[in-house]
Amino acid sequence: MDKQSKTLEIMRRIGAPKPERIRITGILQSPELASLTLLLPGGNSDSTASVLKLFGTHSINIRFINKYEDSAGNTSLCLCVDAEFFNKAVELLDVNEKSLGIRDFMYHPRVKVISIYPHKERPRIAERLLTTLRMTGIDILSLNNASSVISCVLNAEDVEKAITCLGDAFELP
Amino acid sequence: MGVTETLEIFPLKILRDLILLHFLRIPTRPGATRPLFDLLERHNVPVKFVLEGCAGDFNRDLIICIANDAFSRLEPELKEVTTRMQAQALELRRSVAVVRVLGAHFDIRPGTSGLLFGALEQAGITVFSIATTITSSMCVIPDDQVAAAERVIGRTFDIPKKK
Repeated sequence: MDKQSKTLEIMRRIGAPKPERIRITGILQSPELASLTLLLPGGNSDSTASVLKLFGTHSINIRFINKYEDSAGNTSLCLCVDAEFFNKAVELLDVNEKSLGIRDFMYHPRVKVISIYPHKERPRIAERLLTTLRMTGIDILSLNNASSVISCVLNAEDVEKAITCLGDAFELP
Repeated sequence: MGVTETLEIFPLKILRDLILLHFLRIPTRPGATRPLFDLLERHNVPVKFVLEGCAGDFNRDLIICIANDAFSRLEPELKEVTTRMQAQALELRRSVAVVRVLGAHFDIRPGTSGLLFGALEQAGITVFSIATTITSSMCVIPDDQVAAAERVIGRTFDIPKKK
């Protein structure tokens, strides 16, 4: 049993007081997507724009982007593309691996983006979303906010469970 | 093919005078980020930008942007919060801005994000972080590059004047 599972097991056994539900307007879920996480050079050699342009040129739709510089100075780029374009996207990345400077590459072929709205910049919405999903043992692959929603990328098989547990944590109209 | 016509977007929303807080390598466990979000909630500090990504070995990186003046209220407690989160380190990036591009339909128009970030790159704008979902994209850039970024985005998209 890994460290995370042990913590989860203990927390489930002890039980935690149920916090008050937070009122929201809705929970959205995307169609089925594929997520690709690339490790690219950082700083001036960052090839994020080239990756995005490459996908655009080949009509690959990108529905979710997370980009930041990690502790080692690499650019971490997480993209979600329509699931039917997964093979094409991987093929393009393979062919252009050297020119884009791809250092590492991970993928999840079946994911969905779950979005909660409104976010309204409230810290407790983000906290409740992260804690509720992790407490249920759901792996959050990526998370961000854009405009009035806060979104996370989950494996497609976890989505039903996620919607159920979020329904307990948030109050929907 | 990608986008060819000039897309109309909503007026840009630009949040200035922010600070970026990057919590490195937080263990992936339920409630790990609670000390931080509780602190923000207690001080009534809005989170202008939030992003979490995989840092390998069951760890996560968390990035938030908050107003600079709010940061001074949190600063005395941040060291303890970082310890409680078991984050490996906290890195700060001062004087940043968040630019929000809304209405370009990133979700249904292939090439839109390439168009936007290609133009910013060509103009030499540093983009520290990007968060794009559905119809909206937010990017964190240096505060002193806001005017240049506005010009570039204004040339790339059709932005109606604010009434």
